[in-house]
Amino acid sequence: MTTISMENINYKEEIKQKTSKPLMWIAIMSIVMFFAGLTSAVVVSQGGGSFLDVPMPTAFTISTFVIVASSLSFHYGLISIKKGNFAMAKMSVLVTLILSFVFIASQWMGWTYLYENGVIAVGSASTSSSSFIYLITALHIAHLIGGIVSLLVVFFKLNRNKYSTEKYLGVQVSITYWHFLGGLWVYLYLFFMYIIA
Amino acid sequence: MSAHHHNENDFLFKYIFSTDHKMISKQFLITGFTMGFIGLVMSTLFRLQLGWPGESFEIVELLMGSWQEGGVMAPDKYLALVTMHGTIMVFFLLTAGLSGTFSNLLIPLQIGARDMASGFLNMLSYWFFFVSSVIMLISLFVEGGAASAGWTIYPPLSALPEAIPGSGAGMTLWLVSMAIFIVSSLLGSLNYIVTILNLRTKGMSMTRLPLTIWAFLITAIIGVLSFPVLLSAALLLVMDRSFGTSFYLSDIYIGGQVLDHTGGSPILFEHLFWFLGHPEVYIVLLPALGITSEIVSTMSRKPIFGYRAMIGSMMAIGFLSFIVWGHHMFLTGMNPFLGAVFTFTTLLIAIPSAVKVFNYLTTLWKGNIKFSPAMLFSVGLVSTFITGGVTGLVLGNSALDINVHDTYFVIGHFHIVMGLSAIFGMFAGVYHWFPKLFGRMMNNKLGNLHFWTTIVCAYGVFFPMHFLGLAGVPRRYYTNSEFPMFDNMVDINEFISTFAVLALFAQLVFMFNFIYSAFRGPRAPQNPWEGTTLEWTTPVEHFHGNWYGDIPEVHRWPYDYSKVDANGDYVGGKDFIPQTTPLGEGEKDGGH
Amino acid sequence: MMTIIVIVAVLLVVVTGVQLLKIAELRAKSKGENIYDVKEKDGKMQGLLLFLFLFAYMGYFAWQMCEWGPRVLPVSASEHGVGIDFLMDLTFWIITPVFILTHVVLLWFCYKYAYSSKRKAFFFSHSNKLELIWTVVPSLALTVLILMGLNNWNTIMDPIPAETDHVLIEMTGQQFTWTARYAGEDKKLGRSHVTLIEGANATGVDAKDEFSKDDKLVKGEFHLPVNVPVQFVFRSIDIIHSAYFPHFRAQMNCVPGVSTQFNFVPTKTTAEMRKITGNDEFNYVLLCNKICGAAHYNMQMDIIVESQEDYDKWLAEQKTFGE
Repeated sequence: MTTISMENINYKEEIKQKTSKPLMWIAIMSIVMFFAGLTSAVVVSQGGGSFLDVPMPTAFTISTFVIVASSLSFHYGLISIKKGNFAMAKMSVLVTLILSFVFIASQWMGWTYLYENGVIAVGSASTSSSSFIYLITALHIAHLIGGIVSLLVVFFKLNRNKYSTEKYLGVQVSITYWHFLGGLWVYLYLFFMYIIA
Repeated sequence: MSAHHHNENDFLFKYIFSTDHKMISKQFLITGFTMGFIGLVMSTLFRLQLGWPGESFEIVELLMGSWQEGGVMAPDKYLALVTMHGTIMVFFLLTAGLSGTFSNLLIPLQIGARDMASGFLNMLSYWFFFVSSVIMLISLFVEGGAASAGWTIYPPLSALPEAIPGSGAGMTLWLVSMAIFIVSSLLGSLNYIVTILNLRTKGMSMTRLPLTIWAFLITAIIGVLSFPVLLSAALLLVMDRSFGTSFYLSDIYIGGQVLDHTGGSPILFEHLFWFLGHPEVYIVLLPALGITSEIVSTMSRKPIFGYRAMIGSMMAIGFLSFIVWGHHMFLTGMNPFLGAVFTFTTLLIAIPSAVKVFNYLTTLWKGNIKFSPAMLFSVGLVSTFITGGVTGLVLGNSALDINVHDTYFVIGHFHIVMGLSAIFGMFAGVYHWFPKLFGRMMNNKLGNLHFWTTIVCAYGVFFPMHFLGLAGVPRRYYTNSEFPMFDNMVDINEFISTFAVLALFAQLVFMFNFIYSAFRGPRAPQNPWEGTTLEWTTPVEHFHGNWYGDIPEVHRWPYDYSKVDANGDYVGGKDFIPQTTPLGEGEKDGGH
Repeated sequence: MMTIIVIVAVLLVVVTGVQLLKIAELRAKSKGENIYDVKEKDGKMQGLLLFLFLFAYMGYFAWQMCEWGPRVLPVSASEHGVGIDFLMDLTFWIITPVFILTHVVLLWFCYKYAYSSKRKAFFFSHSNKLELIWTVVPSLALTVLILMGLNNWNTIMDPIPAETDHVLIEMTGQQFTWTARYAGEDKKLGRSHVTLIEGANATGVDAKDEFSKDDKLVKGEFHLPVNVPVQFVFRSIDIIHSAYFPHFRAQMNCVPGVSTQFNFVPTKTTAEMRKITGNDEFNYVLLCNKICGAAHYNMQMDIIVESQEDYDKWLAEQKTFGE
């Protein structure tokens, strides 16, 4: 009795080609619903009153520019791969990585600013509004860390020349997620701006 | 990712960490049924208390340890049992057990794929489910006992251990278990959707998919969109419990002091919870409806009536399920206008549900019906879906809900549609696809016995509850003996509890049949029910990849049963035409 | 000892079952059949059983209606309850025939169309006309139910018109008791908050609020005058409870941190209801109807509905908060 073997590399490759991006898209839809639930909770909790009595931290505005820039640099990296310029691709991915750490740093600065201005996350000095702003930004960073991991995988694979001008599916999947994280942050930023007095 | 680095014939990777969808479906089945049996025992235990309040039972003494004194369960432990019963049955048996088994088994086989889009994610999905089950069971044994605020775990009761002991460590573990469960469910749904949309074999257009696949697809989409919101609800609850936030809590005096939480609202939790909670019941129900469509058609030797209407109604139910959640909250003090909106949307859902029932009936009309146990359970599902569904018209109407909300009327309603319809769908699926799961056949006589004892006992348990509810008996009451107005409910409670005990024994017949047949049942032929769909074209023995050689091509829809030509003879010479058979000269596809 | 006997008995039953199944399989094989084939006569038997089940099920339903039907709640004791009961009856008049007829069709078809090798099934895959019919007809029935339901709902949720005389009661729920606070002559309730709970002031009434002075706190049993609207303001000091007044067709959650309200007009005195139910010891009752902890099953308060004079007399005897 012959056994069909799933070890057929071509077959597995074909499946990966067909399904990796759709899998990422559906996962993104789930994450969207997660943040939709949270931001709806903010609206419901707020009940029509003013949210927080503090201006939007400049650090968060910087975050926005940084994360958009990181999407641009990653995108440039993708273009470089398509053109065969792997050195530039490596550089772009490295820049993206650095920008992601700058993003996290700017988030931390934003939190510090909020804390110093009386917006407390937990305990008796907190309100649901103040807790939300920390929680939601922290959750965004948690998802960002997943993105950073995928970025690192792309970086290491680039260093080992695993991609070609034709084969770069992993980069496409990673960059889809990365752009999503950027878009998500922009949405959250606008949402907070709208809700904060 | 990992599978091709390990030898798939290793015991570890063939059985334990298998990435083969058929093995994973069996893992879901066994774990689901095990949890379901535990949930069933729990319900029998608390029905003993309700049927004969305050009486001592040896079995209670045996099973409940420190939760009882002299064989009489304690009131707060009664609430723990009720909570865990609901949690286990809704999530572990009827979501993971039902969807996990049949979506995994049937999707690749019926669409013509070698496996799911990602065997690795699929394997993770099962193991997360397993870990989540273990944690949920461990929560029974921690200090304070298991979560006890009802499966709906509304705060502040679920947030404050001072309010009930189960809201301590037990509730924490419940939340951890559910977070892992949600991840498991999302991983599974991801796979189901992408596989159905992207890996269909040549000729398998969307309108040639069996209704099981449509049901699993819509169910998975509902899951992907609704479970994350439960995760957010649970996360905020964790924050309130352990990190001093006030998302749900405000103005509370308990244990002799005012708590430090202000500004939150428990109603927020209800919104977030029910945003999942309502779609969840359709996640439970739709796969059962899909399975029934398939079995009724195959066993009646007739196309399912109204294939497109069945798809349309499932889509309508899926869509509407997202805009009715407020009917669980009519009495929370929310704006009456919202109540009106939710009444409207809720009663709308009755329409596609009715369409499905009429389509099942019309499928049976002038059919040529073989009554296997699977077919019996499918007929049972139609009966229970009608019975349970019509009382939804009472509960969905906000003015009527005022007096029956949180009474036994609700318990009767949702048990008949979930605890009967959905589980009947699951049983039907197991009897029908047992040959695909284990390569053997279950025993029909035992299956018939299982059906008859179960349906009689089940209606014996749940039908009387409508009367209890209309008499004002609230749910989640440890005993009804504290209210003179419920003194005349004693015999009804005894009646229900007696049938509950009998129902438990009826399931032992199934258990025996299942286990015996899995190991020693007669070997199955390739297509025992003479079905048209692709799963019956694979060899009986399992191997990763499903078909030797190329995956078959599909040329027609799956419901060409008893198709006759102008002379009244069967097209193709028999009363079914497999999907793989090319269309004949001048033959049109799709039921025309 | 008992446990061992039970275990042995179970094992014996299992072993017997296994042997019986093996015998059945061998017997079938010896006849050249497969045990898993659904034989025509067995199928027809199941079809017959299903049809007989129709009568058993409907008979069971009828028996329950006769035996337990009379035990549901008595006639509505509130004004709006009449509309609710009418709509409830109407809904049952619609769903019961649907329930019966669909079962007749289902179970009759199972008998009539049980498999016969002499017949062919009828290849009938769709009919837009039929789908239209059973989409439109339920929609019409539902439209009626929705319109009547919303009409009732809006009436019930309407606040009492400002000038109308009414009784104003704050009902506070807590683990595991109810406290009713009547607004006094000033027709206003004083402020209350959990931070003011101390000692005898178990529900946290604000002593400094002048409207509190004439409020009357009552426990165990509270009274209402018949045919006078009563406005309830609900609150909870610990967790969610629900104030359920089944005889008055009234229910509203009590949520900590949020104030909810419900109003109704009691139309039957306790004495009248005792006559109607034939039960001398009947009392209206307030129950908790949202899981609230160990003693959730015993969180109750009796309600007496009486004439205006009797009510006034009773109220006068209650102590005010100021005292």
